[in-house]
Amino acid sequence: MGGTFVITLREAFEAALLLGIVYTYLDKVGRPDQFHYVTRGALLGVAASILLGVAVTVLSGPLLDLGPDLIGVGVLLVAVVLLTWHGWWMRQHARAVKGDVQRRLDEASATRRFWIVALIAFTGVFREGAETVLFVWGLLAQASVSGIGAAAGALLGIVGAAALGWAVFRGGKRVSLPKFFAVTSVLLLLVAGGLLSTAVGKLQGLGVLPITSVVWDTSSLLDDRGLVGEFLGGLVGYRAKPSLLEMLAYVGYLVVAGALVFGDVVGRKRDRGPAPPSAVLTGEDKEVVTAR
Amino acid sequence: MTRRSAFSIVIVAPLVMLAPAARGARAATEIALTIEQNRFQPDEIKVKAGVPFVLVITNNGKGAEEFESKELRIEKVIPAGKTVKLKVPALKSGTYGFVGEYHEKTAKGRIVAE
Repeated sequence: MGGTFVITLREAFEAALLLGIVYTYLDKVGRPDQFHYVTRGALLGVAASILLGVAVTVLSGPLLDLGPDLIGVGVLLVAVVLLTWHGWWMRQHARAVKGDVQRRLDEASATRRFWIVALIAFTGVFREGAETVLFVWGLLAQASVSGIGAAAGALLGIVGAAALGWAVFRGGKRVSLPKFFAVTSVLLLLVAGGLLSTAVGKLQGLGVLPITSVVWDTSSLLDDRGLVGEFLGGLVGYRAKPSLLEMLAYVGYLVVAGALVFGDVVGRKRDRGPAPPSAVLTGEDKEVVTAR
Repeated sequence: MTRRSAFSIVIVAPLVMLAPAARGARAATEIALTIEQNRFQPDEIKVKAGVPFVLVITNNGKGAEEFESKELRIEKVIPAGKTVKLKVPALKSGTYGFVGEYHEKTAKGRIVAE
């Protein structure tokens, strides 16, 4: 039972983290009334996971051999784009807002924003969703006492991941808006970089991209098969034995997306020297804005 | 570089990488691997280094299993009663471990390329 608990906890952890972040994001910008976008995105993700799970057990031949892998890579790449977009938008938003977040969000562009958030929820859930469905289904199909116990452990793992997402939400509510934007835009970039290098690795495993040499081997220090290594892998894309291409994708992504999202910070410092001390504002919805 | 053009690079680059996926496959050696009672049979596979091959994995177990090799970057769920063909790219000589992720304690094996 413990083993299955860890497996689903691990698979659902990333989805829970992303859901926690996007719910908090909506709460932070004063639009908890739009939570339903995230909820629907997540529910659609669950539905799509079940559909794919069913499809995999029904299909055979090349559709089964390659189909799920191509969908998997596609979902990864879409998630990378969405997270980058979201990080970029949060930075724009943080820069533009001069106090009243609510009013800014009432702009027409806000609706599009909610769709992105819904899609992030969808891809977050769908990414490992079908795998989790098949795993739990397989356990239930065994119809033995140990199978039921294992399935109970697996479901508890999902509940545990949901609790982690909830903790992110509760914790996120407490930190100030600028801090939340700053921390999550960095975290989302690292997550997206990890997803991109995972996609590159999968394409190498599929033979689409050439196999490249292993750049380093830290498996004796921190094995990516162990619990901590696996979680770090899901969070920031840690690999004990990264291939050259994976590493280049990761670093390249961080440089390009980092310049895209944080370029203004660096540019401003270079143009005007160190940023002046921030004016401290009070109130939940106040953004701390440096003079521009 | 403007922010907009940088942004389109971020979007387009991953899609371009997917393009070669259409590449056709040549007939390659097939190697059978069976999953039964949460174990792989055989648990050691010998292949020629530098030659791609196909793993034909049949799951005779009662539940789904996930063939996973961190080193080969392969993760593949095989539902109970199903057979899956996995193309494996040419490997450098060496030993590559794999596990059944759902039963890591018992389902272990390795591919030896030489």
